[in-house]
Amino acid sequence: MTTDTSIMIEFANVTKHYDNQTALRDITFSIKKSEMVFITGPSGSGKTTLLKLVYSAERPDNGTIRVAGWDMDNIRESEVPFLRRNIGVVFQDFRLLSNKNIFDNVAMALRVRGVSEREVKTRVYESLKTVNLRHKADSFPRNLSGGEQQRVVIARATVAEPPLLLADEPTGNLDPETAGGVMKIFGDISAKGTTILIVTHNRELYKNTGRPVMRLDSGNLIEMGRS
Amino acid sequence: MVIPYAIRQALQSLLREKWINLLSLLTIASGLFVISVAFFVGYNIDAATKRLPEKFAMTLYLEDEIPKDKVEGIMSALRKNSSVSSVRFIPKEEAMRELKGMLKNSNYALEGFDENPLPDSLEVKLRKDAVTAETARKVSAEALALKGVKETDYGEKFLAALHSVKSGVKTVGTLLVAIISTGIIFVCYSTVKILFYRRSDEIETFKLLGATKTFIRAPFIIEGGVLGSLGGLVALAGAFTFYYIVIARLSVSVPLLSTLLFPRSYFLSLPLIGMLLGATGAFVAIGRLKY
Repeated sequence: MTTDTSIMIEFANVTKHYDNQTALRDITFSIKKSEMVFITGPSGSGKTTLLKLVYSAERPDNGTIRVAGWDMDNIRESEVPFLRRNIGVVFQDFRLLSNKNIFDNVAMALRVRGVSEREVKTRVYESLKTVNLRHKADSFPRNLSGGEQQRVVIARATVAEPPLLLADEPTGNLDPETAGGVMKIFGDISAKGTTILIVTHNRELYKNTGRPVMRLDSGNLIEMGRS
Repeated sequence: MVIPYAIRQALQSLLREKWINLLSLLTIASGLFVISVAFFVGYNIDAATKRLPEKFAMTLYLEDEIPKDKVEGIMSALRKNSSVSSVRFIPKEEAMRELKGMLKNSNYALEGFDENPLPDSLEVKLRKDAVTAETARKVSAEALALKGVKETDYGEKFLAALHSVKSGVKTVGTLLVAIISTGIIFVCYSTVKILFYRRSDEIETFKLLGATKTFIRAPFIIEGGVLGSLGGLVALAGAFTFYYIVIARLSVSVPLLSTLLFPRSYFLSLPLIGMLLGATGAFVAIGRLKY
């Protein structure tokens, strides 16, 4: 494992099993800061497991992982929340709180960090403006379209300006036009220096972008190159 | 910043889950009301038994024709005992006068006695806190060891009864308070556990956003505390109604009830007791959950 400060994510010989099934097998790779990387592969290839290992929802059976300067082998359970404050996550199923309005959903990412309410107000409105949803601050998730909900999730994941953003099938439920809009937002965030890891089935998202692509199959990293 | 947010979350949850919370609140209030009634009964029995020792006295009967200096010696020996508060000499003439006063119209009972059959005696009073069967027995034994003391009478049965009433009330009261307090803690425990499971998706999202355990736990503990203190307030209202309306009205037909005491300052602590029990229940519930 290197101590290169330009590296955001580093996996070294990582293996993860679920019962008798191997989800990831001897995976080694590193992602530099500010890069936008795509992870692709068929269902069950280990893409989501890889993301879970990054935000410490799972622990590896073998190998070492380093994320945002945190050595995952030695991380204590009580430190996991502080690791996660370096990571914004965009979930495929959105995970928005239905009993809270859009403002409060986005604000949650700042409130868990103990940010003052005055600052929460300023930063949430700013973030909602970035995803063009400032006018929906008082609406509830059920009143928003799928694309709008996905943009709220992006606002929530980025409002605290984490150095790393993970996105699990961020356009999975969206039409091509809306998906294009979402990818443009990711491009803008990446331009500001945030490292982004996007898991996707959709080849169109990374085709001809020149961005790094990791291809997984049956838990093996079979290809790592540029699109 | 976490605490004001946690308070807001707790209050929002109280309103959002109003029916389950109302049910818990009423259960807690009923439990605390029973505790307050038990305390009211215990307090009054204790107050009544506290007044009795003031009237308690031991009688030491002296030998016939005992010289005065010997009596003085016995009295000073008794006064040295730290449990004794006063010693009074009662000559047999005074004892006879008292007996005649008590018998009044039944004086014929004393007919036939040429001489005063009563002995000289000493009235020994114990300190209020020393009025127990054991102390009285000890003082009695010490007195009997003194030369010139023939017999003692200290109402052993009365003291034993007083002691058993006091300890009985104390035991029953403590048991009742322990059982009901455990019940209240369990009600809060179950309520918070249900609320926690109902919000499990929300909690999962909080965790992924980087919330610490304290951030997740705090609203539930506050909610338990608020539920408990609201239950305490309702119980307090019930206790005041019970005393000022029910007891006050009944005392018109049962005058004895007007002698009952209502220690308001103790009752005002009911919301605080409720808060502590509620927060304890919530704390135990959250501590036992895996998340």
